[in-house]
Amino acid sequence: MVALPPALRFRGRRLIFRRFPLVCVLFLLGQALAADLAVLPAHIRSDPFGQVVDADRAAKVQPAASIELTSAREAYASCRLLVSSAQPATYSLSVSGPLEASLYREWFHYLPRSKRYYPDALVPTPVSVRAALPAPDNRVEGQTTQSYWLDLRIPASVRPGAYTVDAVLEAGGVKTSLPIRIQVLDAVVPAEDPIVIDHNSYGSSWLLTQYPELAARVKDFYLSDAFFDLIHAYHRIFYEHRGIYHQLGYGHGGKTGPEFAPRLEGTGKNKHVADWTLYDKHYGPLFDGSAFAGTHRGAKPIPFVYLPVNPEWPASFLWWGQPGYEREFVNVMGEMEAHFREKGWVQTNFELFFNHKKRYKAFDWDGDETRFLHDLPYFAEYQRLMKLAIPKDSPVKWVFRTDASWQMERQFALQAGVINMWVVGGGMIAWYAENVPVLKSRGDIVWTYGGTPRIDEPSSHITKDLLGPWMLGADGFVRWQTVSPGPDPWFKSAGGGETLVYPGGRFGFDAPLASARLKLQRNALQDLALLNSYRDAVTLPVLRAEVAKRYNGTSPSDWRQPRPALADTDPLTWDNASIGDALREGPRFATGLDAAAWDRVSAYVQTLAKEHRP
Amino acid sequence: MIIAMLLLLSALSAQSQEPLAAELDQVARTATAMVDGDVARGIQTKRSVEMMLKENPRDRWAGADNYDVDHGAYIATKKTLIRLSRLCTTDCDVNLWLPVTGKPDRVHVVIRNVHEMSQFWKWGDLDQPMPAEMKTVLETGRRQTVRRRETMVSVLAPVYDSLGDIVGLVEVVASTKPNAQENVQ
Repeated sequence: MVALPPALRFRGRRLIFRRFPLVCVLFLLGQALAADLAVLPAHIRSDPFGQVVDADRAAKVQPAASIELTSAREAYASCRLLVSSAQPATYSLSVSGPLEASLYREWFHYLPRSKRYYPDALVPTPVSVRAALPAPDNRVEGQTTQSYWLDLRIPASVRPGAYTVDAVLEAGGVKTSLPIRIQVLDAVVPAEDPIVIDHNSYGSSWLLTQYPELAARVKDFYLSDAFFDLIHAYHRIFYEHRGIYHQLGYGHGGKTGPEFAPRLEGTGKNKHVADWTLYDKHYGPLFDGSAFAGTHRGAKPIPFVYLPVNPEWPASFLWWGQPGYEREFVNVMGEMEAHFREKGWVQTNFELFFNHKKRYKAFDWDGDETRFLHDLPYFAEYQRLMKLAIPKDSPVKWVFRTDASWQMERQFALQAGVINMWVVGGGMIAWYAENVPVLKSRGDIVWTYGGTPRIDEPSSHITKDLLGPWMLGADGFVRWQTVSPGPDPWFKSAGGGETLVYPGGRFGFDAPLASARLKLQRNALQDLALLNSYRDAVTLPVLRAEVAKRYNGTSPSDWRQPRPALADTDPLTWDNASIGDALREGPRFATGLDAAAWDRVSAYVQTLAKEHRP
Repeated sequence: MIIAMLLLLSALSAQSQEPLAAELDQVARTATAMVDGDVARGIQTKRSVEMMLKENPRDRWAGADNYDVDHGAYIATKKTLIRLSRLCTTDCDVNLWLPVTGKPDRVHVVIRNVHEMSQFWKWGDLDQPMPAEMKTVLETGRRQTVRRRETMVSVLAPVYDSLGDIVGLVEVVASTKPNAQENVQ
């Protein structure tokens, strides 16, 4: 069956029916016997009925009978294949060609809030797959379209030039072929990203909730190899998508999970590490990189990790302000330093980071988003203790991180020399943008933080979080929660604003599944890495101006906010409403940001790559 | 039949918790003697109390964002609570609860501890309605053993100030099924 030209496929269908009823009846009979294959660019999503989802419609892109992609090397090129059939059908879909292909069935999540379906979770399938429409497990009544995400990997070893990958659909004895033409450029995407995208999570108890079958299959789940393999699988999936992964290993009251901290014994001067077994099982493969063996990006140590240190670990708060606190802290941290050094774990940044807030009633000061300046001396005290514990010539990398919002501007000044890793509210830092280069000039790391766009937002919104920090000259962005898909992500999605991965158990995988948003983020990171590599040839101000213009019709100055009057008042007088008023984003950063925003940036990067051959 | 079985199971569960409840009761009794009500009452700052009582129509989090304590009073009391928890032969927490100033029908946890156990605290609530068991303790001074959750036992005991008035209470709480991963988040 030959696919209709895209222009006729949707909006024109009713008109054609009126003019040529006999032709249409014959056509519909053909549809009953066969299925249709079409393609969308990666940034445009279809619903299960073949319509572009509401959120992506402003980009004015419709499914087509072929597609042309352009990609640098050491990168992925992606698109979405759509199999459609007006009647229930079985079909086979296969992808073949000279490039390594990975195919994923897109799960359609029902969102009760909007009563709409959106694709997001990607279920790995063979590149040659037989399936049915409607997909029985997805249970979409009247489903007429199944969407597949296609990743084509273009390693650095591929010769630049034109390639064609064929997608072939076979249904009802009819074959339909769809060419995917790829122009591979000379340029090679750098391995390092100018912006670190961090995916945060809390503890491990959610793994049991999300993988009940696995937990039931193995004995002593939390001590099992399966448990540690699962943790490593989470690190791997984010790493393979050019991101990093954080798991906070202690609670607001200071309880540490046994997999996050060595087991301690003793008290006061006798406190010491008694057992490294679980800690090493968890972190050893992450700190020496072996957890990433066999990945496309290679076996590299994780760049950042939370320490388990909190006001209750390793020293008991019982001794706070007394000699015993210092002795317990220094004993154990000294042992940690020696252990890391002996193991050669010297490439990871070990973060001293406090997550507790006094509103949760377990401690008397805010470690996270410190609200009151009278809490700041606690940070200085921990810096003093760290200096006592860690030899001056330690090859281990230690950073003192704080996540700041209310008082960030004052903290930049008051905690200079104490804090050297700043994770700051992604909105508010736009008021204080001039501080970013100041912090970086003193050697500090600067990340911003925020949430994750819901699946019913335009697909480009996920890219705003990497472009924003790059515009400001920051080093990274933390998504505060990325592994919490909610109680029923499959049939009653809460929107996916706290996840970028899904538990794979439903489909027989003891590992997380990527989301389409994670892949869009990865593809944008590739572009950004390549774009940033032209900073010397083109200069950063020019790059920023060109990107801002294409992305959402802004200029780099629009990515900073004029300092509001509020910023010059006492932060203790602020509330979330007044901050919200002062932060108000323009429509070009929100409702007016269309799904194709990053696609325009990507096209610009490709133009640069053609102009500046290696 | 099913109801009878459930009642039997519940009775067996309560019976199995008896030694634990007895131990927690001893700790709670000691807590009444050890925790200083005058100091405890001075933990939350005046400004914080005011912000907690005042409703901000534009910001439901204003009370939490302005929650603040006096470091000295907090630390002294928390250390006492930690010492009390060390009397337990299993992991236990000793939490401090105070009535909300000016709102006798509401109560708030003021100090929690390392395992973050409680049968009463709902995660993130700055204050909450006064549970009947707490009301009883505050009104009568009698300790109360509470088994609201299947795997937890709490004993509530009064905290007195120097005038002999009950100003708050402690919740001495332990789990019958400790979970190493719970509350690590």
